[in-house]
Amino acid sequence: MGTREEMLAMLRMMMMIRNFEETADKLTLRGKVSGGMHNSSGQEAVAVGVMSALAPDDVIATTHRSHHHTLAKGFSAREVMAELMTKATGVSKGRGASMHLGDVARGHFGGNGIVGAGMGIGMGAALGIKLAGDKKVAVGFVGDGGMNTGRTWEAVNMAAIWKLPLIVVVDNNQYAVETFIERVTAGGDLPKRASGFGLPASTIDGQNVLEVKDAVAKARDFALAGNGPTFLNAVTYRYYGHNVGEKGQYRTLEEIEDWRTNRDPIDQLAARLFADGLLDQATFDEMTASVEAEIKDAVEFAENSPNPDPADVMLNVDSGKLRG
Amino acid sequence: MEEVFIPALGMAMEEAYLEKWLKHPGDAVNAGDVIALIETDKAQVEVACETAGTVGKHRFEVGASVPVGETITVVLAPGESE
Repeated sequence: MGTREEMLAMLRMMMMIRNFEETADKLTLRGKVSGGMHNSSGQEAVAVGVMSALAPDDVIATTHRSHHHTLAKGFSAREVMAELMTKATGVSKGRGASMHLGDVARGHFGGNGIVGAGMGIGMGAALGIKLAGDKKVAVGFVGDGGMNTGRTWEAVNMAAIWKLPLIVVVDNNQYAVETFIERVTAGGDLPKRASGFGLPASTIDGQNVLEVKDAVAKARDFALAGNGPTFLNAVTYRYYGHNVGEKGQYRTLEEIEDWRTNRDPIDQLAARLFADGLLDQATFDEMTASVEAEIKDAVEFAENSPNPDPADVMLNVDSGKLRG
Repeated sequence: MEEVFIPALGMAMEEAYLEKWLKHPGDAVNAGDVIALIETDKAQVEVACETAGTVGKHRFEVGASVPVGETITVVLAPGESE
């Protein structure tokens, strides 16, 4: 569970991510966001549950759909929104856009557009942690689509055999672009597949932020005790298309409505906090207003920020040591 | 007033061809009504409105190439004018 303050912080972060994504979706349709943009609305509890269980200097590596992970990791709405608009004030100084948010110095080893690659990068980070003897863990995020690509299981195998402090989190929204996971996943049971490598593996409710937090906290303790990786299949749902602007109709409106109405992670936590007397309407309204103000400010900040200076085009391309 | 605009539907999309107006100035519309048909490099797409109201002026003629994000018409709420 956690203290009242912790619970309210989790609720507010999920609300902030939701507002950020809905706002960014509209800006993308309007042509203000560069490159591909993948909306994470509906998947907030996975990101916020994981980050709530991590220490600030724990490391994450993520996927093409990474705004929720990045905001929950503590990056500001301003710097993430600015990066979506490829502005100089963005997380990646305007070089990365939506799919390449990250900052190694702050324990975020980046998103990327390669299916399953976040897992490999997370495994590498975990190896680095072990070699350095640091008391921290790495989380490798992977989607359900990444469950059927080879590099994912190479990374799980290596993390298991070397007992690396890695937590594998499947941010499982059940659709790889437009393909339903059951149509492409032999055996059908991801934890069973993972447990073949000899590590703890389970499916958790990715719409329940407290369940996600508890599972990750246990996995973290397990890793810090030198026992190696854990595999968590967090089942969740995305409310929008794979990418903004997608016109696909591979899911029924009833299915989407059911997840939105009956399993929404924000509604569920808010209802629980109301029922437990930890949240009242005035506090909730105040949170809603402060989230709206924060995202409005982030959009204004991003729109008014400068583009990167063309003179800096070689910045971060290499170390600079080989150039005259 | 809702601005009805050319949506960015792909990473490389810069403009769309305005193929057909399905609603005209003064027409009453409901949320979700298709206002115009456009063509991108890849597909024909319906552009719908999100609110109910009255359609405003057409800002482009059929056959125009319209940049992404550009407003093509508006939907006016009761009492509003362009």
